[in-house]
Amino acid sequence: MKTVLGIAAIALSTSVLASAPPGQQAPTFTLTDLNGKTVSLADYKGKTVVLEWHNFECPFVQKHYRSGNMQALQKKYANDVVWLAVTSTARTASDYMEPPRISKQLTEFKAAPAHYLMDTPGSVGMAFGAKTTPHMYIIDPSGKVAYNGAIDDRKSTHVEDVKGAKNYVAAALDEMKAGKPVTVASTTPYGCSVHYQ
Amino acid sequence: MLSAGAALAAPVVKTEHVEAELIAEKAAFQVGQPVTVGLKLRMEPQWHTYWKNPGDSGLPTRIEWVLPEGWKAAPIQWPHPQPLPVGPLMNYGYEDEVVLLTELTPPANASAGKVPVKARAEWLVCKDICIPEKGELDTTLTLAATQAPANPRIEAAIERSRNNLPVDARGWKFESSLTKTALVVRLMPPQGVSAPAKVDFFPEREGLIEPAAPQKVARDGQGVRIEMKLADPPPANVKSISGVAVTDGAWPGTKARAINFAADVGAMAPLAAATSSASGAIGSSTLAALFFALLGGILLNLMPCVFPVLGIKVMGFVEHAHGEPRAMRLQGVMFTIGVLISFVALAAIMLSLRAAGTQLGWGFQLQSPSVVVLLAVLFFVLALNLSGVFEWGAFAQSLTSNLSAKGRYADALLSGVLASVVATPCTAPFMGAAVGFTLTQDAASALLVFFVLGLGMALPVLALSMFPRLLRVLPKPGVWMETFKQVLAFPLYATVAWLAWILGALGGNDAIFALLAGLVLVAMGAWFYGRWAHAGGIWQPAIAAMLGAVGILIAWPGQLAPEQATHAAPKAGELAWQPWSPEEVRRLTDGGRPVFVDFTAAWCVTCQVNKRVALNNDEVVKAFAAHDLTALKADWTRRDPRITAELASLGRNAIPVYAIYLPGSDAPRLLPEVLTPSIVLEEVSRLPATKATAVTQR
Repeated sequence: MKTVLGIAAIALSTSVLASAPPGQQAPTFTLTDLNGKTVSLADYKGKTVVLEWHNFECPFVQKHYRSGNMQALQKKYANDVVWLAVTSTARTASDYMEPPRISKQLTEFKAAPAHYLMDTPGSVGMAFGAKTTPHMYIIDPSGKVAYNGAIDDRKSTHVEDVKGAKNYVAAALDEMKAGKPVTVASTTPYGCSVHYQ
Repeated sequence: MLSAGAALAAPVVKTEHVEAELIAEKAAFQVGQPVTVGLKLRMEPQWHTYWKNPGDSGLPTRIEWVLPEGWKAAPIQWPHPQPLPVGPLMNYGYEDEVVLLTELTPPANASAGKVPVKARAEWLVCKDICIPEKGELDTTLTLAATQAPANPRIEAAIERSRNNLPVDARGWKFESSLTKTALVVRLMPPQGVSAPAKVDFFPEREGLIEPAAPQKVARDGQGVRIEMKLADPPPANVKSISGVAVTDGAWPGTKARAINFAADVGAMAPLAAATSSASGAIGSSTLAALFFALLGGILLNLMPCVFPVLGIKVMGFVEHAHGEPRAMRLQGVMFTIGVLISFVALAAIMLSLRAAGTQLGWGFQLQSPSVVVLLAVLFFVLALNLSGVFEWGAFAQSLTSNLSAKGRYADALLSGVLASVVATPCTAPFMGAAVGFTLTQDAASALLVFFVLGLGMALPVLALSMFPRLLRVLPKPGVWMETFKQVLAFPLYATVAWLAWILGALGGNDAIFALLAGLVLVAMGAWFYGRWAHAGGIWQPAIAAMLGAVGILIAWPGQLAPEQATHAAPKAGELAWQPWSPEEVRRLTDGGRPVFVDFTAAWCVTCQVNKRVALNNDEVVKAFAAHDLTALKADWTRRDPRITAELASLGRNAIPVYAIYLPGSDAPRLLPEVLTPSIVLEEVSRLPATKATAVTQR
């Protein structure tokens, strides 16, 4: 009976996208990273966590890595936040990448997330309502969502648009660091669709 | 002219997944007028590009214009998008092909000559993955004293795009309101129009709603309201809502599928309880539709396509009129059930296919050559039987004339089905409006209307079977019945001739020949069966069946070559029909000339009778000429979505329909479905008289 309910719950959760609006408690999760290490959101209680929905095949993601923008943020806030990159791309999707290939590309791009998490069943992405790659979330030390939305205000795939864009994540992190409330706590994310199972 | 056309052909830019091209609406534009150009994107199958609001992900296509000094480009005219689901997400965009039209305005001092224009376009094209692509597209516009049309390929592409552009619906009132979790929009039609039952709403603003959440559509009096789930969190400071509402077919009161919506956010009256429930009371318009459906159904019995089948039925009644009343009643009921099942089934098929996006109308089954062939063979065999070429053998005997009557009930049921299948294309008067109305309703009321239509058709036979005393006046069965039966064969042969003609319209001469050759073999099979099958062996029926099967095989329509439209010069006393297109109607009415449109099809018998009797008539032809009335023929013999859409905008979904379009008026005048010369003459005489010179045009 329990299994049946469980299967039903999974079936439901895969068909409906939930959401994680600012001010609400972030959904908890436990995933494995590229090396098979288990990572839980609860491990980082008391710390600020950045979630970056990710897929290297996506031109919007490439824009922020080719320009060095995302890596710069990861490094700049390395001491203040735990940066978790997440992929919810299903194994069956044509833009799915095996962990070794992701590792190789991360190295090539000199990316420095604390962990890169594999969410191939998509359940964590669905719980957060992650729609695009990139789709950014900031979770404050109390576990509440502080920011949900786009990386910046330039919806494009052009590397040159990174310069001069208003980076919402950097702005929110700076405000949080200064103890101020986040001015822009939610925006509409832009990018490629996350290909859920 | 030709060489100029070739020089103007813009190069096609091929990217990995898209063929892009800049097309100009005219080969030559009139000096001093704004011009329209289009960016045509032809996507690889299953790849899509995006609308101005791309939905959950993606990017709208962008165009940066490089124009000569003084030229100005207006914003892109976006065709309405289609919903493109991606797992739990939803995108708004275009598959296969999209033409993004833009109006360019020349400076006041522009003179005739060539104008180079360039578009730097960028689009994101996605399937499972997304590829940002771009192209630099050039074309050269020609400005001249008089305009010249573009080549037909370009005209068609631009027309397709225009058909999908949302229009401003005159007389409609819009409201919008926000709750904590929902956006509600309300669309109220002008007097006498009712809102469509199926509506998709696409908001212009990105991130306003959850695009993937199902939209709740509810009737609201004559209008409709749509409830959508707001994004979580919803955007702040939403003061007004703009977007596009799209329906199947044409939006009532317009010729477009989609209309523009704009409303300030405000309070909205709660939905009245009576109108919100889907199973609520039937509105007065539905009752009227039901009444006309019943009336139309009864009249269907007099239509030339039903009459032969009815003859067989009456024949059956005559045979048993003096028999057991109970058995007769049951037969009447079975016939009725047969009719009802087929009407509801045909309606359900049509509604579900329409919901899936196929443009179909009532009578669609005769737009399929295979159905026409099967019916022709069936009627031919029935006619041969009535002529006495063969008798149903022992096997069939047990089915059809077993006195224990089980077989006769099956027979009654089948004749009900048969009558309905051939009856549907014969839209009787009164029925056209009912069928058209029906399609704007939800599926339940639509099915109800078709059910009542079938009930009307079965009613006379049902009544005869219930009151067999009515039949007592008929003479007792005797030798005369054999003669009567043979006479009844001739209407059936006539039906076969009619079906052969329809097939000709669908597939040309060759198809008719194949059918007739096949029928010869079928006739041989029938004769063989009648001559020898009763000997008792197994070989004789087998050979007969084989002959029949080969006959059907020969008759079966293959890849039919579309019949070339022949523009034969009109004979004396006939109208000079020209092919219909929405553009032609617009062109003529814009030029100040009235237009008469005959929505017709080869399979529509009423249409043919009207044409012979009322339209191709000396007086009528003279009256048309005197009023400079151009006769256009919209031929629906084959499926034509443009005609289906035009009919829908007239509130119809069956033919015949006769409409007179007047210059400067959007609403055409409709004529009755059954025409007489005097009706037509009266309508035409109401048109303003024209200058004598106009008659000589064209």
